[in-house]
Amino acid sequence: MAIYGQTLVALTVGLPVVSGLASLVLPGKTIRSVLVSVTALVLIGSSVSLLGISEFTYNPGHIYETAVLVLDFALLFYFLYVGMKSKSLPVIGLSLLQLVPVAYFEFVLHGVKVENILLVDRLSVFLVLIVNVVGSVVVVYALSYMEEHEHHLQLKESRQGRFFFFMLLLLGAMNGMVYSNSLYWLYFFWEITSLCCYELIRHDGTAEANTNAVTALWMALIGGVAFIGTMFVGYYTVGSIALTKIMTAQLTPILLVGFAFLALAAFSKSAQFPFHSWLLGAMVAPTPVSALLHSSTMVNAGIYLILRIAPALKGTYLSLVIAAVGAVTFTLTAILAIRQKVSKRVLAFSTIGNLGLIIMCAGINTSLSYTAAVILLFFHSISKGLLFMGAGVVENRINSRNIEDWEGLIGKLPFTTTVMLVGMATMFLPPFGMLLGKWVAVDAIISTPLAFALPIIILICIGSAATTFFWGKWLGYLTVTPMTAQKQVKETLPTPYRFAMMGLLAVSIVFSAGAPYIINNFVNPLIGEAYKLSVTSTLMEVNTGIGSFLVGPFWIATVAMVLLGVMITKKKGGVIVPAYLGGENVPEKPLMFFTTADGEAEASVSTVMLQSEIDEASLNKFAVIIGVLLIIVMFLVEVI
Amino acid sequence: MALNTSTIISIVFLAAMPFLGGILMGVDRRLTARMQNRMGPPLIQPFYDVLKLWAKEPYIANNIQPLMAFMYLGFAMLAASFVAFQLDLLLMLFTTALADICLIVAAFSAKSPYSYIGGRREFLVMLSYEPVLLLVEIAISLVTGTFIIKGIRAYETPLLLLLPAAYVVMQVVLVVEMKKSPFDVSGSAHAHQELVRGVYTEFSGYTMALVEVGHWVKVVTMLAIVGLFWAPNPFIGTALALALFVGAILIDNVYPRLSWQRMLKTTWTIGFGLVIVNLLALSFGGVI
Repeated sequence: MAIYGQTLVALTVGLPVVSGLASLVLPGKTIRSVLVSVTALVLIGSSVSLLGISEFTYNPGHIYETAVLVLDFALLFYFLYVGMKSKSLPVIGLSLLQLVPVAYFEFVLHGVKVENILLVDRLSVFLVLIVNVVGSVVVVYALSYMEEHEHHLQLKESRQGRFFFFMLLLLGAMNGMVYSNSLYWLYFFWEITSLCCYELIRHDGTAEANTNAVTALWMALIGGVAFIGTMFVGYYTVGSIALTKIMTAQLTPILLVGFAFLALAAFSKSAQFPFHSWLLGAMVAPTPVSALLHSSTMVNAGIYLILRIAPALKGTYLSLVIAAVGAVTFTLTAILAIRQKVSKRVLAFSTIGNLGLIIMCAGINTSLSYTAAVILLFFHSISKGLLFMGAGVVENRINSRNIEDWEGLIGKLPFTTTVMLVGMATMFLPPFGMLLGKWVAVDAIISTPLAFALPIIILICIGSAATTFFWGKWLGYLTVTPMTAQKQVKETLPTPYRFAMMGLLAVSIVFSAGAPYIINNFVNPLIGEAYKLSVTSTLMEVNTGIGSFLVGPFWIATVAMVLLGVMITKKKGGVIVPAYLGGENVPEKPLMFFTTADGEAEASVSTVMLQSEIDEASLNKFAVIIGVLLIIVMFLVEVI
Repeated sequence: MALNTSTIISIVFLAAMPFLGGILMGVDRRLTARMQNRMGPPLIQPFYDVLKLWAKEPYIANNIQPLMAFMYLGFAMLAASFVAFQLDLLLMLFTTALADICLIVAAFSAKSPYSYIGGRREFLVMLSYEPVLLLVEIAISLVTGTFIIKGIRAYETPLLLLLPAAYVVMQVVLVVEMKKSPFDVSGSAHAHQELVRGVYTEFSGYTMALVEVGHWVKVVTMLAIVGLFWAPNPFIGTALALALFVGAILIDNVYPRLSWQRMLKTTWTIGFGLVIVNLLALSFGGVI
């Protein structure tokens, strides 16, 4: 049994790295396709198999420890080199701030020794499942996307080998990270994800890509520095840098500072205020990169870290500050998302906001709120992966990122648009999983003391209304059906696109309908390790003790209603007539009307952005200021 | 599911909700007429209207629109069933939002500038009343400790005594929900000069009938929530709900329409302000 588990661990970390290296050296489209597809299948298979494993700890041995050490220094020197090459003071400074202390820590203090380097428990297994299922689908999707992308850029020589190397390496590093019990290993894998992120963002090599990649890198390096802070705290207070030891130690103010460092690292990775700009800049990369960063990897690293340490912080002020950062981020990004014109920017703001919601739930730190956080994390990964993949296809088809050009897309790209419509619905409407998570979150908030809950309640009320607004208007805009496009269009899509989008769509719907099953079998066991269980779920119902979500009946009613609706409206039918345009319609041209001077004019509509009501520049400034202030409070609160 | 008395009552109540809504609309038209020194139509005029609409020759804007009109009614009924079967109040709110989205998608899909602008404004209407209603529901569950309507009804003290400000806020929510002046920016019972009938412009015949009945159901659902403010005695609860209903009609006839910016400011300041003060008072009083 132990060997079986260790093999799966080795497979999920090692295989992506090996296939990544292979894709780097082996030329040719076919080999790459086979390689990536097989890797994806094996990764999905092993992550599902891991679900059956009971908790175990594991020490991979000396060779690996030395390898991690060597590679870590190589990585830090590379970051230093990047900093010098791009003349970025923050990167240079933050690399040095890691190099020197790490060298001291290793060679002077000999502090990196940990007995159980790896720990596989319910939380890590759950994360591995998300990373590999959603991640693998995105990587397969990228096979088609990169072909189109390079065709579009008219590259002479394919750079896909490099691209897939970093994509797969990112998956491997994420897996390694969630297994790590040693803070040093955790830090090492963390830095590798930063590296992959940097390389993937600058993949296209444009000036903008390079600038944004460097921004993303220095923000990620703040996280690295913070990790080292925690390692020193762990070494001097507990005498170990094993997470299990630090988590179970008596909480002292110094140790809390150590945890605050980890929270800071998590904020930088999960793009919480004031670090949100890197994730917005990251969209210059090819879309599969965004799909991967936003859904299952990178940003989830921060969430994972918060979820990992939250149980140790129950009832501390630190935990409350973490919740506040998340809540503020959630509400402000929802408002900012309303005014965005670029499709991927809307998605990016939505990601940052939802991560904020998850972090808020983890910070509230009750059994119920932790459950909400895990549910949200799970369904957000699936839906966001789906939405980015859809957005990428649309972008390649209509050559525009502006959602104003998406009007009436349902007539032009029926398949992809349907995927996008359902994907959007899964983000904010019942009976889908994200809404279930939000619903649990509200129940969790009201069961906390009012003095703390009230500001959060106000933020959530406003944030969730704004969320409905920005998703709803986009969703509605896609369904505008110009009469001119009445004839049915057949959409041709390469197989990987179809497979990836259909796959995640099915997963998202089936898991939403089966949410009680997911909660019973995957979420509750994970909660049970740290909290008393608070959510009971039967096949039909999720019950929080405060409310009850009848998942089964809701789905049955919805499906029955759609069927009945189709039947009745089909039977009633009707003649399609031109819209009322306030004047006489021009015959044969359904969207034209006669003006008073007898000329013909076209009626056109645009979507609502509230551009003049929402001032993005000052809101952004406010976000940075409040983010910095909250982080200062987060460190000061320990002293009080 | 065993068919016991309370289940039967719930089913009957759910089935009666559209009819209640229709009669209330009739009352609305009569009252409004009297306030304007007119006679007004018979009480069951709304039913004549809907039956006639249903029988009319069908003209539609596109193939999405009729289905969405049906889903609007369907999800309004689903939201109503949460009230009828005394289930989760929070989920009821989310389901109402789902119904609204269906209406807006139907309006958007027609690509008429009027229905499109109406749809955009309907979003702003949602933005102005949804967070306020959510806050009221949260306030209710902070007091009673549950979101399940059955549990809220079992709470011994009438909620009006503890949450009087939230009751006042429900008046604002109801005016918005009934699409009455001053908050009828997205479309009302009568035509606007600049908007024709806003979000309703492109509906006709049976699609209009569906949307109309959906609206009735939503109004009755909202009134049923107001009734929770005096749950121990359903008659007083009903009286409280009807008081707000008449209040909404009165306000409609007294105030001119506001721009959406002022609508948002009004609902948010009144809504958030009053409920927060109410909750703080309860907190200092040691109730929650």
